Amino acid sequence: MNIFRIFIFSLLLSGVAITAYALNRSEVEKNLICYACPGEALNIDRCSGGNQMRAEIDRRLALGEDKQTILNFFVQQFGEDILTVPPQRGFNLVAYAAPFVALLIGLVIAGMLIWKWGAAGRSGTGAGEHDAESEALYRKIEDQVEDELKKLEDD
Amino acid sequence: MVTFGNLSQSAAFITGLSAMFLLLTGLMRNDLRFIEAGRRALAGLAVFATMAAFALSWLFMTDNFQVEYVASYSDRALPLFYKATSFWAGQKGSLLFWAWVLSLYIALVTWNTRKETTRKNTPYIYLILAGIVSFFFLLLITVSSPFELLQFMPKDGKGLNPMLQNPGMIFHPPTLFLGYIGFTIPFAYALAALISGRLDPDWLKKTRRWNILSWIFLTIGIILGGQWAYVELGWGGFWAWDPVENASFIPWLISTAFIHTSIIQERRNIMKVWNMSLIVLTFLACIFGTYLVRSGILQSVHDFGATGLGGYFLVFMIVAALGSFLLIAESYSELKTNHSLESLLSRESTFLFNNVILLAIAFSTLFGTMFPLISEMVTGKKLTVGEPFFNMVNTPLFLLLLAITGLCPLISWRKASINNLKHNFLLPFGLALIGGAVLFTFGIRELYPLLAFTLSLFVSATILLEFIGGARARKKLTGEGLLLAFPKVIWKMRRRYGGYIVHFGIVLMVVGITGSTTFKLEKEVTLQRGQSMTIGDYTLQYNDFKSFQDRNRTVYAATLGVTKNGKPAGDITTERRYYINAKQPTTEVSLRISPKEDLYLTMPMIGKNNEITIKAAVNPLLVWGWVGGVFMVLGGIMAIIPAGSRRQTA
Repeated sequence: MNIFRIFIFSLLLSGVAITAYALNRSEVEKNLICYACPGEALNIDRCSGGNQMRAEIDRRLALGEDKQTILNFFVQQFGEDILTVPPQRGFNLVAYAAPFVALLIGLVIAGMLIWKWGAAGRSGTGAGEHDAESEALYRKIEDQVEDELKKLEDD
Repeated sequence: MVTFGNLSQSAAFITGLSAMFLLLTGLMRNDLRFIEAGRRALAGLAVFATMAAFALSWLFMTDNFQVEYVASYSDRALPLFYKATSFWAGQKGSLLFWAWVLSLYIALVTWNTRKETTRKNTPYIYLILAGIVSFFFLLLITVSSPFELLQFMPKDGKGLNPMLQNPGMIFHPPTLFLGYIGFTIPFAYALAALISGRLDPDWLKKTRRWNILSWIFLTIGIILGGQWAYVELGWGGFWAWDPVENASFIPWLISTAFIHTSIIQERRNIMKVWNMSLIVLTFLACIFGTYLVRSGILQSVHDFGATGLGGYFLVFMIVAALGSFLLIAESYSELKTNHSLESLLSRESTFLFNNVILLAIAFSTLFGTMFPLISEMVTGKKLTVGEPFFNMVNTPLFLLLLAITGLCPLISWRKASINNLKHNFLLPFGLALIGGAVLFTFGIRELYPLLAFTLSLFVSATILLEFIGGARARKKLTGEGLLLAFPKVIWKMRRRYGGYIVHFGIVLMVVGITGSTTFKLEKEVTLQRGQSMTIGDYTLQYNDFKSFQDRNRTVYAATLGVTKNGKPAGDITTERRYYINAKQPTTEVSLRISPKEDLYLTMPMIGKNNEITIKAAVNPLLVWGWVGGVFMVLGGIMAIIPAGSRRQTA
């Protein structure tokens, strides 16, 4: 409880200054692909085609345009495949949702398995941890027998 | 030497085929003589592969530009050091490198198992390995030979891509390959276990070091790749979620999941189907990476374009996947055990959740990588997904993984009581909470960075408590002082503590990545001589400019005087290099590294009157990411150091 109080106290003590970010070119660049080098993000690319795009971004930033307006301009010019982040609509939503759906399914299956194994453990019907040892011992004996048989054959 | 190389490759392939024939005959006739002969043939293959590798190295060293591959990746001016490493700079050489290393690994396996040929599974291990290595040599002699000759003798070669003329590139590709190739061995053991019906944890125990060693190499390869991107590409980052980067990350994630659950199988003999599936997936993911680089299906800075090999690798992957999963399905009833856990809350259950999260990250990375193709198939539009998308989707998953990394050590094996959990949980949780509050107070208000740092504190606290707990227990047991007990317990239980060191490395990496991506400062300014710019605490004044010839390049260098918080902090020089035979100039990164932050400079443009455009960045805490990488590798090495021989008891 004391920890909780300290946490709340710290929150109250803290100021209200929220980290503010001035929009710079690289934040816009990250979201665009160089039109001259398909597949390569503009922030990585250094070709002359990319330089034209960078100059355009600089010009628009100087005009005070926000990130989305600048991105919209490039989408108008080159289409949606100029973006590194697919717009969140239509089929593209699958890209955003699939990892989390997969995670959810995985967590549910894992939860069910653990529940099942837990139930088996409580009722004492599951395999014990001695199984690995006994099986390994069995294999060791099997190997010894195989080795001895081979020696006999060789003789 | 060209003929020697060609013959060596062909001999390696024929030896691989012969080994397969001998092994199959031995298995069908149940004749150990054939199996022994197959084993020796397989070991002998390494000799031919080494001869082929030697031949290619020799051709590079002697500037034999009639060889198309040598002419494409080397020139007379290239320093000797880089001539040697040009071996794996292109598709054909890297394929030979792969086949050669695989043959050496196989030779090691045949040596280690020389007294185990009578075992039921051993001939199958050889057979699978022979099949895989023969596939690589088949490609080398039929489709992609690095010994192909040009119809004429060029005066000079095209030279090595300037971006590859960096020390990082000497080690990055081979270490990555060593990792990829290494997973072939556990894959062969797993499949052999399935075919022979020896499904006990023996194959896991025998391949534990192979798994971890391959994981270490993969880790080193990925980190060196990031380091190379950071110091060479000049865009100020280290990971761009490029398709080929992702292709190396996916097997890393799956193998990490496998390393965790294989511990459970070793301890409890459960999760057999799961582990079999994971090692198969790891191997397939490694081949997928190779396929991606060589198929030209996706655009990447790393790919070799359409090499004509994509189809072969695709078929190989399909055959390997179908064969493996059919075998798993066939052995399902034998693999299936009546799993039991004494409690829902146990380390086993947290490992299972850790696996789910690791696989979810692997899936999201794979899905994002393949999304351009998927979207093209469905909508007809080939959309690309880049860094911001992957960061958006994967960051919450990584945070979840980080949380479970901290939770795992707090929960005991088999059964954890609530009281036990409370006792273990309270201190690290409290420390993390206080730390989080302090960070919040100091202005870290964005959710993800705040969570990342807080969880990093939580995980660090749990690891520290584990170390202290172990040392205390030893002190109690042996009466040793805490300072002596501490290193002794770590060394004695190096597998366990090696794992924790890896976890701590991950924490440091999270700190480095979070700090450098969230709080990064960037500025691009054009300066005339004498002018200055300011970024963060730094002021950079453009003082000097010079140009000179250095070996195979012309260098344009600008020197800037640095002051930090008004105090002089020396000079920094950034370069722009024009390599002979290169189409584009390269920017040479200048770095000033400190524990707090990196000052990162490049010079993307030089004007007619020597005015320079400087791209400057301040990357906070990034150095801790690299330090974390070192910890991860050291922890991994520690975990595979064999236990000393035990004194025999009567």
